[in-house]
Amino acid sequence: MISVQRVTKRYKNGVTALDEVSVEVEKGEFLFVVGPSGSGKSTFIRLLLKEEEPSEGTIYVAGKSLRDLSSWKVPYLRRNVGTVFQDFKLLPERTIFQNVAFALEVIGKPKSVIDQRVPEILELVGLGDKLNNLPTELSGGEQQRVSIARAVVNRPLILLADEPTGNLDPTTSQDIMKLLDRINRIGTTVVMASHDSAIVDAMRKRVVELDDGKVIRDEERGVYDVGS
Amino acid sequence: MARKTNYYFREATTGFKRNGLVVFAAISTVFIALFLLGLTLLIRQEVDLIIERTGGKVEIAIFLRDDISDAQQSNLQDQITGMPEVDEVRYESKTDAFQRAQELFKDEPEILENLTEESLPASFRVKLVDPETDFEVIGARLAGQPGVEQIKDQRELLKKLFSFTAIFRTGILIVAILMLVSAGLLIANTVRVGLYARRKEIGIMKLVGATNWFIRLPFLIEGILAALIGAFLAILVLAIMQIVFVEPLRGNLLDLPVVSMGHLISIIPLLLVAGLVVAVAASFAGMRRFLDI
Repeated sequence: MISVQRVTKRYKNGVTALDEVSVEVEKGEFLFVVGPSGSGKSTFIRLLLKEEEPSEGTIYVAGKSLRDLSSWKVPYLRRNVGTVFQDFKLLPERTIFQNVAFALEVIGKPKSVIDQRVPEILELVGLGDKLNNLPTELSGGEQQRVSIARAVVNRPLILLADEPTGNLDPTTSQDIMKLLDRINRIGTTVVMASHDSAIVDAMRKRVVELDDGKVIRDEERGVYDVGS
Repeated sequence: MARKTNYYFREATTGFKRNGLVVFAAISTVFIALFLLGLTLLIRQEVDLIIERTGGKVEIAIFLRDDISDAQQSNLQDQITGMPEVDEVRYESKTDAFQRAQELFKDEPEILENLTEESLPASFRVKLVDPETDFEVIGARLAGQPGVEQIKDQRELLKKLFSFTAIFRTGILIVAILMLVSAGLLIANTVRVGLYARRKEIGIMKLVGATNWFIRLPFLIEGILAALIGAFLAILVLAIMQIVFVEPLRGNLLDLPVVSMGHLISIIPLLLVAGLVVAVAASFAGMRRFLDI
């Protein structure tokens, strides 16, 4: 599903964010990318979205080489890749329903599809009764659920999550992880960047550890930190 | 499709409301620019009309004294005809002159009232082979000849008129172009402000896979709409001026033709195209900085 082959990313200011990183992710897998701040996790996620280009190496996402993907096709790639961020990125003046519907509207889905899928997915994330609330009326955990709903409402093949629990307390974080696990179980490949060791340890999923832009560990059913 | 079109226009008009002042400035500038552009085009058409009407007729008039003898007159005629610069000589008698005056001032009876055949001089009307020939060449040879009252180059007045309008037109055109440029900058700014106000939505749109055109189109429409409203106002004001000021001149400006509504209509496409080109170019320029797409 995702194939990152000997990818190096150097920025103009001389910083090497990723250094010869190679990672293969199978369809339906759940992968943690862990490491301290500045280890290259976010760059890894951005490269998968073709928000940035690698300096060297090749990346395949959903069977397509990102290097060969012309820029006008990038939106179509992103329709297959849902994204969730630490800061939720919800539109504060729109209701929960409208926030999720927005993702379908702007890719031209008909109203009938929107009216059917949005309540359905909000039900799945446990917010079936908050369709008409504004994001500010929700807790952080609930807001992150909305953002997850928005990421998967178009049924993407892959879900990329960049520190989705970064702003949440441990209990709420566990709920979010349960939700991501459920989404993974219905067939969505999940790649999650995190430095939350409790979360990673509890899930016992595959872990790729980055340090200073290099992969220093890649193990099945891993924990956050083998040293401790 | 209808729903999408709806979306684009709804977004564009929301943009209008959001930064009303900037949009107002943009529309006003487009209006002034296109109004001035239209004005220069119409003045140009007016000048062309006058040239067309008078071009073949412009001539040198040699007015004859009332006491000229027949011998003096025929001598003079021979002399003029013999000049290499002269194409054609026509004698206009007092009766001819009176008839022409009747026609010329048919809308001004108060002038005709005081006009008698006797009060008008007879003249030779001279057409030149090359209209550019210096009048002085002819004038110097005939001045002081017996029977010649006065020599008038009718081209002179037109020349003055044309050179005056040429300067006037160039001035207006320069101002019109400057205004068009400012209009472009203001439209670009409108688009930029709109993009800034909606940067969060745009970020999400890009993330969930909205195409670049889907994101751009409302802003493009916003710019084009501002330009079209400005163009419409410019055309409206030109039309009002045509009706209120220009039409009453028709037939009252001696024999000179005036531009018609048809001329105004003929420049509308040009004004619209100028407005559109500026709007589209400016919108893209405005989007370029913010949308790296």
